Amino acid sequence: MKKIHSAILMLVLLAAAAGTAGAETLSGLQIMEKVYARPKGPDIQSELTMTLINSRGSKRVRTIRQFIKDYGADEKKIMFFVAPADVKNTSFMTWSYGNSSKADDMWIYLPALKKVKRISSESKSDYFMGSDFTYDDMGNRLPKDDTHKIIGEEKINGEDCYVVESTPKNPDYFYSRTVSWIVKGEWIGMKKEFYDEDGELLKTLTINSYKKVNGYWVITSMEMDNVQKNHKTIMELKDVKIGRGIRDSFFTERMMKRGIK
Amino acid sequence: MNAFGKLLKFSWLIILVVLVITGGFLYMIKTGTHLETNLDKYMPAKNPAFVYSNYAEDLFNIRDGIIVAVENPDGIFNPGTLQKIKDLTKDLQKLDGIDKSDVTSLYTADNIVGSEFGMEVNPFYSRVPKSPEKLNRLKKEVESNDMVFGRVVSKDEHSAVVIARIKKDVFDSTFYNKILKIAHSYEGPEKIYVAGRPIVEGTLGKLMPQDMKLMAPLVILVIIIVLLIILRSIKGMILNLTVVLLSTIWTFGLMALFKIPVYSVSTLIPIMLIAIGVAYGIHLFNHLELFLEKNPGADKKDAILDMIKNMWKPVMMAAITTAVGFLSLLTSQVYPVKYFGIFTAFGVMGAMAFALVLIPAGLSIFGLPKTGKFLGQRKLDLGRKPFSHRFAEGILNHKLMVIVTVSAVAGISLFGLTRVWIDSSFLSNFEASSSIRQTDKFINDHFAGTSSFNVILGSQKDDSFKNPAVLRLTDDLQKSLGTLKVVGDSFSLTDFLKRMNMVMNADNEKFNTIPDSRDAIAQYLLLYEMSGDPETLNSVIDYRYKTMNLTVQLKSDDSRSIKSVISVINGYRSRFADLGISINFAGSGYKALVFSELILKGQVTSLLLSIVIVIMLLTIMFRKIRIGLIGSIPILLTSIVNFGVMGLLKIPLGPTTALISSIAVGIGVDYAIHFIERYKEYSLFSSDKMEVSRKAMFHSGRAILFNAVVVISGFLVFLFSIFPPNRELGALVSLNMFTSFAGTLTIMFLLLYMSNIYFSKGDKK
Repeated sequence: MKKIHSAILMLVLLAAAAGTAGAETLSGLQIMEKVYARPKGPDIQSELTMTLINSRGSKRVRTIRQFIKDYGADEKKIMFFVAPADVKNTSFMTWSYGNSSKADDMWIYLPALKKVKRISSESKSDYFMGSDFTYDDMGNRLPKDDTHKIIGEEKINGEDCYVVESTPKNPDYFYSRTVSWIVKGEWIGMKKEFYDEDGELLKTLTINSYKKVNGYWVITSMEMDNVQKNHKTIMELKDVKIGRGIRDSFFTERMMKRGIK
Repeated sequence: MNAFGKLLKFSWLIILVVLVITGGFLYMIKTGTHLETNLDKYMPAKNPAFVYSNYAEDLFNIRDGIIVAVENPDGIFNPGTLQKIKDLTKDLQKLDGIDKSDVTSLYTADNIVGSEFGMEVNPFYSRVPKSPEKLNRLKKEVESNDMVFGRVVSKDEHSAVVIARIKKDVFDSTFYNKILKIAHSYEGPEKIYVAGRPIVEGTLGKLMPQDMKLMAPLVILVIIIVLLIILRSIKGMILNLTVVLLSTIWTFGLMALFKIPVYSVSTLIPIMLIAIGVAYGIHLFNHLELFLEKNPGADKKDAILDMIKNMWKPVMMAAITTAVGFLSLLTSQVYPVKYFGIFTAFGVMGAMAFALVLIPAGLSIFGLPKTGKFLGQRKLDLGRKPFSHRFAEGILNHKLMVIVTVSAVAGISLFGLTRVWIDSSFLSNFEASSSIRQTDKFINDHFAGTSSFNVILGSQKDDSFKNPAVLRLTDDLQKSLGTLKVVGDSFSLTDFLKRMNMVMNADNEKFNTIPDSRDAIAQYLLLYEMSGDPETLNSVIDYRYKTMNLTVQLKSDDSRSIKSVISVINGYRSRFADLGISINFAGSGYKALVFSELILKGQVTSLLLSIVIVIMLLTIMFRKIRIGLIGSIPILLTSIVNFGVMGLLKIPLGPTTALISSIAVGIGVDYAIHFIERYKEYSLFSSDKMEVSRKAMFHSGRAILFNAVVVISGFLVFLFSIFPPNRELGALVSLNMFTSFAGTLTIMFLLLYMSNIYFSKGDKK
C-alpha cells in the first residue's frame, strides 16, 4: 500500500529537536535516531507548493492545503488541491498505522466524479505525485532499517554537520545507500544524497530554508534533484501552523467531499 | 605529337610517380577511412521534417525498440517462463545503452485495476507467482487488461514480449551482439525471437559486408576472365584492370584525405568506376588492334601514338561529360549523395587520365599485345562481312522496326515508370525465408507489430489535450487506423483515460470511453500520476499538455504501409485543425521514408539536369545542337528503361537503387561520344553514309559491345548473392549497360544516320 505522508512530516522529521544528548561520541545510528525521534507537534497545517521541473525546463506547479494530525503511532492526513483550477478540490486522505503491519488506508475524491474512491499502490519507493520524492524520502523510513556509519564532518552553510552514510539492511531496497549531512546539536538534515542500485548518484536533496514554528523546526523550502533524469522538484511551505487543534471529524470522507473554501 | 604522346618518353617515371602517389593514398585509406553506419548521420539535419521528428523523439523519448519474444507452446503462465521474462527484463535494464524505465514487459507493466471499491495501479507481479491460484489470478488479470493483452502478452497466451528502447547513438555491432547473446541465453524450453528495427539494421550491417566480401572478388575474377577472352592479352587485361583499380584507390584515398566518411552509398563508387573505367581502356585497345591489323609490323611507338592521336579526344570528352553529369548530384540535399557525385566524378577523371597516360606508358614498356588475336578479328579475312557491318546494315534496312521497337520499349518503360514505388524498408533487404523475416513475422502474427510510426498532435495552447473533444477525435482516428490491415495497434493518452474511466466506474464496459469533462480528464491524469509511474505518461503527453504522441504499431515497415497510415491521418487534418491541433510525424520509419523521397527527388532532378548538361556539352564539343540532342538519347533511354523495369519488376526505389541510374549518364554518354566521334572521323574520308556507318560500327560498336559484355558478365555474378538488394544491384547495372549499348547502336545510330549530319549536300568528299 502506498503511503502518503506530507512534505511537512518529512520536514519535521529531518528537523530534530534542539539540545544534544550530552555524550560527545555518538554512533551513526544514534545520530539518525535523534533526527527521527523529535517532537513534531500534535497537528500541523500548511500550504504546500510543489513545482516539478523536467529536463526541458517545463514546469508543473501545484498548490495543496494540507492538514495532519498525530495519533501517537498512527497519523491522519488530508490534503486539498487549490491549483491548478481543473483539479481544484480534488482531495486525498491517508490514515497510516505507524509500526503495525497494517497497510495504510488511502482515499481520493475526484470532484468531477463526485465519488470518494479508495486507491492503492504497492511500494514505498513509488514517487509522490509525479515528484522526485518517494514516499520513503518523505520521511517514514525507520533508522533501524539501515546500518549507519559516520563517514566525516563537514561545514555546510556555516553549520557543522555530521556526514552519515546509511546502507539498507535489505539488499533489494531501492537505494544502495544514502549520505546525510546532519547539523550538530540541532539534528536537522541539511543535505542528502541518494545512490541507485548500481551505486551511482541518483538524487540530491538540498534544504534551502527552515524556521522554528511554535518551538518546532520546520523546513520551508527544499529541492530534490534527480541528476540522472535531469528532473527536479521544489517544495515550499507557507502559512505553517502547528498545534492549532484540528478536530477528528476533519479526517472523514464527508470532509473530502466538502472541500475547503 | 600531342601532350599525351610526348609523355611516352617518360613512361618509367610516370609509372613510378603513379605508384608512389597510389602508395600514399593506400596509406591514407588504411589510416584515415572511417565508416559511417549511423543512418541519422545520412539525413540532412536542417530539413524541417527531420528537425521536427528529432524534436518529438526527444520530447517523448521515441526510440527504436528491440523486441524479444519468449514463446512457450504450453503457455507463459508458469513459474519458469515468468521468471525468464523477469530476468530478461532485468538483464536488459542493466545494459548501458538502455534506460531502466525504457524496458517494457509484463514484469514492468502497470496494471490499472478497479473494483466497486476503487482503483489501483500495481505491477502484474514482482515475485514470480508459484501456486496455481496465483498463476491463475495473474492470467485473469492479464486477460482483462487491454493495455497489455495482445500488446505484451499474445492473445493465445503462448508468448510474451520484452521491449527495450535503446538510447540514441549507442547501437553498434558490439551492442547488437550483446543483445542477441543475452536474449538467446534464455532459450529452452522457451523459444526466443529477437526483432525490431535496430536488429534488422544490425543484421544488415553485419551480413551485407560479408556478402560483398564474397561477391566482389568473384565479380573481379569474372571481369578478368572476360577481359582475357576479349583482349586475348594478359598485358591488356592487367592494364585495363589497373586503370579501374587505381582510380578507385585514388578516389577512396582522396576521401580519406578530406576526412569524408565512407557511407553505404559510397560502395557504389567502385561499381561506377568499374563500369565506366573499363570502357576507356577497351576503346583504346580496340583502336590499337584495328591499327595493327591494318598496319602489320608497325612500329610500337607509331602504334601507340596513333592510338593516342585518335582516341584522346573522345575518351577525354566522354570522361568530362560523365564527370559533369555526376557533379549534377551536388544538387541533392543528402550529403552522402553529394559526396558520391563529387568523388565518382573525380574517379572518372582519374580513370580517364590513367587510361590516357598509363596504358601508353605500360605498352611502351611492356610491349604491344600480339596482333590478330583480338576477339572477332580473325574472321576478317574470310571474305565474309564482319558482323558489325551486317548489324549496321540490318539496322538501316529495318528503320521502322527499330523505331517501333524502341518506341514500344520506351512506352512500356514509361508505363512502368508510373508504377515505381519507393521503399525505405529495412526488412525487405532480406529473403522472406530468412530467419530475420521469420522472426519478424512471428512477432507480427502474435503482437501489435514490429514497426512503429509516431503521430505528433500539437497545439499552441497549454492543456489542449485535456479537452474531451480533442481526445474523442484522437480516439476516432485510432479506430480508423485500426481498420487498416497493416496496423496492429495504436496507443496514446486516450488508452490510459479510457481504462481509468472504466476502472473508476466499477469496471463497467460502458465507461470505456473518454470522460465527458475537462476537469474529469485532469483529475484522472493527476490520479494516475499519484498512483502509477509518472514516467509512463511522459511518453504520451508533454508536460504542458499541448503535444501528444500517438504511436501506431505496424506489421510492416515498407513505405506503402506507412503511406496508407499517413493518408488516413491526413483525412483527419481539417477536423483537428478546427480544434486548433496540427499534425506532424516522427520516428525512424517516417524519417527513412522522407529520406528516400528526398534521394529520389534529388536523383530525378540531377538526372534531368545532367541530361541538359550533356546536351550542352555535346553541342559544344561537336558544334552541332542536333548532335547534342541525338547524343543524349542513350542516356534518356537508359534512364527510362531503368526506372520502367524497376516499376514493372516491382524493384523498390531506395537510396541505392535510385543512384544506380546514375550509371546511365556515365555509360550512355561514353558510348554516344565514342560512336559519334568515330562516325564523324570516318565521314571526313567518305561521302558514302553506309560505308561510314559500317566503319563506325566496326570500330566503335565493337568496343561498345565488348565493354558492355565485360561489365554485364561481371555484375551478373551479383545475381547469386543471398541479398535481394545486391541481386537488384547486379541486375540493374547489367540492365543499364545493356540499354546504353543497345540504345547507342540502334536508335541513336539510326537517328545519326537519318539526320544527315556530316553529309549535308556533298560538302564532304
